[in-house]
Amino acid sequence: MTTAATAVQDPQLPGDQPVTAASARQVTKAYGAGETRVTALDAVDVDIQRGRFTAIMGPSGSGKSTLMHCLAGLDTVSEGRIWIGDTEITGLKDKQLTRLRRDKIGFIFQAFNLLPTLNALENITLPMDIAGRRPDAAWLDQVVTTVGLADRLKHRPTQLSGGQQQRVAVARALAARPEIIFGDEPTGNLDSRSGAEVLTFLRRSVDELGQTMVMVTHDPVAASYADRVLFLADGVIVDEMHAPTADSVLERMRRFDGKRTS
Amino acid sequence: MLLKTSLRSFFAHKGRMMLSLMAIVLSVAFVSGTLVFSNTATGTFDKLFATTASDISVQPQQDKVTKGSSEPGKLATVPLATAQKIAALPGVKTAVGEVFTPNATLVNPATDKQVGPTSGAPTITGNWVDTPRNSLEITSGHVPQGPGQIVLDADTAKKAGLGLGSALRVITDSGSYDFAISGIATFKTTNPGAALAFVDTATAQRTLLGSNAYTSVEVYGDGSRSNDQLKADALSALGSGYLVKTAQEQKADNAKGVGSFLDFMKYAMLGFAGISLLVGGFLIINTFSMLVAQRTREIGLLRAIGGSRRQVNRSVLVEALILGVLGSTLGLGAGLGLAVLLIQLMKAVGMNLAGASLEIGWSVPVAAYAVGIVITVLAAWIPARRAGRISPMAALRDHGTPAEARANRIRAVVGLVLTLGGAALLLAAASATKAATGGAYLGYGVVLSLIGFVVLGPLLATTVVRLLGAALPKLFGPSGRLAQRNAMRNPRRTGATAAALMIGLALVTGASVFTSSMVSSTSSQIDKSVGADYIVTSNRALLTPAMVTAAKSTAGLAHLTEQKSLPVILTTPDGATTETSVAAVSPTFTTDFLLPVKTGTAESVNTGGISVDETFAAKHHLSVGDKLAIEYSHGRKQSLAIGLITAKGNSLFDGNFFTAIDTVGKAVPASELPSDVAVFGKAADGTDKGKAQALSALQDSLKAYPQLTVKDQAGYKAIIQGQVNSLLYMIYGLLGLAIVVAVLGVVNTLALSVVERTREIGLLRAIGLSRRQLRRMIRLESVVIAVFGALLGTGLGLAWGITAQRVLSGQGLAILTIPTGTIVVILLASALVGLLAALFPAFRAGRMNVLAAIATD
Ligand SMILES: Nc1ncnc2c1ncn2[C@@H]1O[C@H](COP(=O)(O)OP(=O)(O)OP(=O)(O)O)[C@@H](O)[C@H]1O
Ligand SMILES: [Mg+2]
Repeated sequence: MTTAATAVQDPQLPGDQPVTAASARQVTKAYGAGETRVTALDAVDVDIQRGRFTAIMGPSGSGKSTLMHCLAGLDTVSEGRIWIGDTEITGLKDKQLTRLRRDKIGFIFQAFNLLPTLNALENITLPMDIAGRRPDAAWLDQVVTTVGLADRLKHRPTQLSGGQQQRVAVARALAARPEIIFGDEPTGNLDSRSGAEVLTFLRRSVDELGQTMVMVTHDPVAASYADRVLFLADGVIVDEMHAPTADSVLERMRRFDGKRTS
Repeated sequence: MLLKTSLRSFFAHKGRMMLSLMAIVLSVAFVSGTLVFSNTATGTFDKLFATTASDISVQPQQDKVTKGSSEPGKLATVPLATAQKIAALPGVKTAVGEVFTPNATLVNPATDKQVGPTSGAPTITGNWVDTPRNSLEITSGHVPQGPGQIVLDADTAKKAGLGLGSALRVITDSGSYDFAISGIATFKTTNPGAALAFVDTATAQRTLLGSNAYTSVEVYGDGSRSNDQLKADALSALGSGYLVKTAQEQKADNAKGVGSFLDFMKYAMLGFAGISLLVGGFLIINTFSMLVAQRTREIGLLRAIGGSRRQVNRSVLVEALILGVLGSTLGLGAGLGLAVLLIQLMKAVGMNLAGASLEIGWSVPVAAYAVGIVITVLAAWIPARRAGRISPMAALRDHGTPAEARANRIRAVVGLVLTLGGAALLLAAASATKAATGGAYLGYGVVLSLIGFVVLGPLLATTVVRLLGAALPKLFGPSGRLAQRNAMRNPRRTGATAAALMIGLALVTGASVFTSSMVSSTSSQIDKSVGADYIVTSNRALLTPAMVTAAKSTAGLAHLTEQKSLPVILTTPDGATTETSVAAVSPTFTTDFLLPVKTGTAESVNTGGISVDETFAAKHHLSVGDKLAIEYSHGRKQSLAIGLITAKGNSLFDGNFFTAIDTVGKAVPASELPSDVAVFGKAADGTDKGKAQALSALQDSLKAYPQLTVKDQAGYKAIIQGQVNSLLYMIYGLLGLAIVVAVLGVVNTLALSVVERTREIGLLRAIGLSRRQLRRMIRLESVVIAVFGALLGTGLGLAWGITAQRVLSGQGLAILTIPTGTIVVILLASALVGLLAALFPAFRAGRMNVLAAIATD
């Protein structure tokens, strides 16, 4: 627990810090009450840097998904404050939150990312459709070509493989040019080759397109694609690592298990 | 084991079963409520007749000519001497002479308003007699004594606001008689719905019969002989001039009378039940289809680990069985409530069954469970079979519910064959030369095309919804596109949901095309062939001579035409006999009505000839100059030459035989001529103002006779319109229910779809679809389904209605009128129905927790 402080620098107003795409201060999330009360997040402070690829790791039940949901405005917090860019989202009404998600956030889920009634292209442009915006044709082209789906655009999700579906989901997240993309184990359901494909693509979108990316994962190899890894345990950020490699992450995770079992 | 999984699954999905359950409950309630009601009513009347019928009743033998006709003629009587002969028979304790007629009218002289029912149920006036089994007892005042006193039944008195001492006028063929109410009589058991008035015997004979006789003699035995013996004795003592009926026979006669009304009620109610069953069936099919679809993975897993098709199939059917049993039980309970409600309703029309205890009998639960369970299991059969066919692969497939297999080719072929067959039959019906064959074709065509459309529904859903929804993305953005895709993604479900609505609307549309054609056809016939300005008719019996005299005295009338109706037996030269009636008219009839001439001349009616219509002439190979042998009542006979054959296609004249009153008078003495059935007037001054003045003058001179209606042509058309409307209202009532159930169906489908698409909705919300957009998406899907159903329904209904008009174009339905307004209203209303049906599912979807939706496995 002593390493927890290294996860963040001194708290600062997010608006002053253009390099922060999202930040949380003293965020606590508790489920239930009384004896069945579970503290999923315990006074978490975190800053997500703009244009960087951040991975969140930790044992099962450590609060990774909860943290991501709270940061993305999908879930409400019990205490603390959260900003996306310079907008504080804690305390926003459903309507404003929906609009924020629509305009500033992209999502890639582990499964069931696409609407079965829409074809690949329609799924990709859906967030812009909803917002009533015309997609930027050149950008869309670039995204579609990068994900390698140019010849699959008219296909329905059921006609695509799992990896292809995830790539469509990635394209959807990118196409709207959100400020930040959240992925909850986006490669969890994929074999290592398709997983690598998607991850490479995410990496490129960060490097070449300047996209901000936050990804929850269990897989040290996946985490090695990130610029920075945050380690979560029992609702608290216990460590972080820059420029990770699969081995160093694995090593760190082992230490975790060791600590827990000891 | 099987039962346990089914039970568990049933209760896990009880929310989703709610609406199906409601549909079953509704249908079963109608079936059992109707049965309980009719059992109770029949039982009550049986009891009433059993306790009040005399041992034997002696009635005059009816004339062989008048017997078959419903025209109120002169009453046949039993003379006093005969009554005395009956009283002297061995074993007779008392023989009571009764005088009763349904032909008198009761009027409140203070208001000149009619007392008692003005349509349907009879008003019976007679003599008060004390018999051992009176059905009424005097509850206030006393029995009528002398020429000025009358007793009225309590229900009628209450409705008319009359009490002891109030004045009451009785209008009969022989004149108007004024009385004061001396007593109020109440039914001891049940009021079968008639109004009753009693005077003393002498007064009854004088005013109602005009002779010292009885209409029947009721005999009560002293117990020494059986009723059959009494009957045999009476018959041998009296000869063949009389009808003698035992208590048993009287009961059967009476029950037949009440029964026909109750039967009507029963069939109307069973019609409700049938429609709600039909529509409920679609609801159940949809519910189970969706449950099966949602459990595809689960079932696939079961199959993968070795479950057999039959086990899967059976587990679904067992669930349906549970639903059926539960629904039938609740429906049975609701049915009892409905029966009580119906009994209250009957009270409003004058049939007081309130005191009766509900008679349930074993047949009611049997019918309720049979109907409820059979329909549920039958409807679940298709989804259950589908469940059995789910492959173990389904467990491995990622995308939860597989896109439903595209509606298959067999369906297309079967649906097309049925629909085309139906269309061919309808075409054949439209071009059939004979109305009867056309009618048969029409019937089969309607059934076939309906089934064809139901089968084709899913196929049509794909194409029609695509067209319908094409504008949605443009109009409503992403919600519109999503709605269109959602409505199309499950054609079978959309088809079944829309079919429920289609059936009701097809019937409404067909009926309204038919009735509006009828109104316009009849109106145009009136315009073309009626020259009379006024028509005077009576809602009770006939127009008495006093009324005709009063009408004749009206100022401003050019002339008055009388029409009498005489029951006759016609013998045509081909030897066939026909029981019918002859319309005997004044000479001015031919100027008041433009008789459509096929051959002959209209004038011949006034000069000793008779007219027949084209259809009758063709049937019996008659031509002008042929002789008809006519037998009137009392054995009066005449032979008349045909002077005119009227062209068919005009409902005012079809089926009528016109001749002059004077011509009939040559064979029938004046004393045997009946009163007029209708009187037609023509204004002397043909301007609108003159006509209006004469109308009010005529109404004025007939003010004392509230049973008469005086109408000008416009008013007459309004009456026809009104008659048609009351038919329409009934149809609308019946179909209101069908539509309610259809709405339930749309709600059901949408609500289940929302549950099924939980993850999709969660995803949409996560990537930024607002609640409003989400709700709009669901509303639009609902509207698309409803409008789709309405389009199919109105299309089908139009085809039916137009065909029916073609079939009957020779029978007075010459003009086709398509009620565009009604159809537009139906289509708009269906969109509204869609909006309404989406309220709850949209609310549910809006309230869905985004995270929970994403997390759902
Ligand atoms: N809706 C809920 N109600 C109650 N407790 C919850 C709820 N959701 C999560 N929790 C609890 O909160 C804690 C954190 O859950 P979370 O889903 O964030 O873990 P995670 O790190 O994503 O785990 P995994 O790697 O297994 O996905 C867990 O102990 C979990 O049991
Ligand atoms: Mg998680």
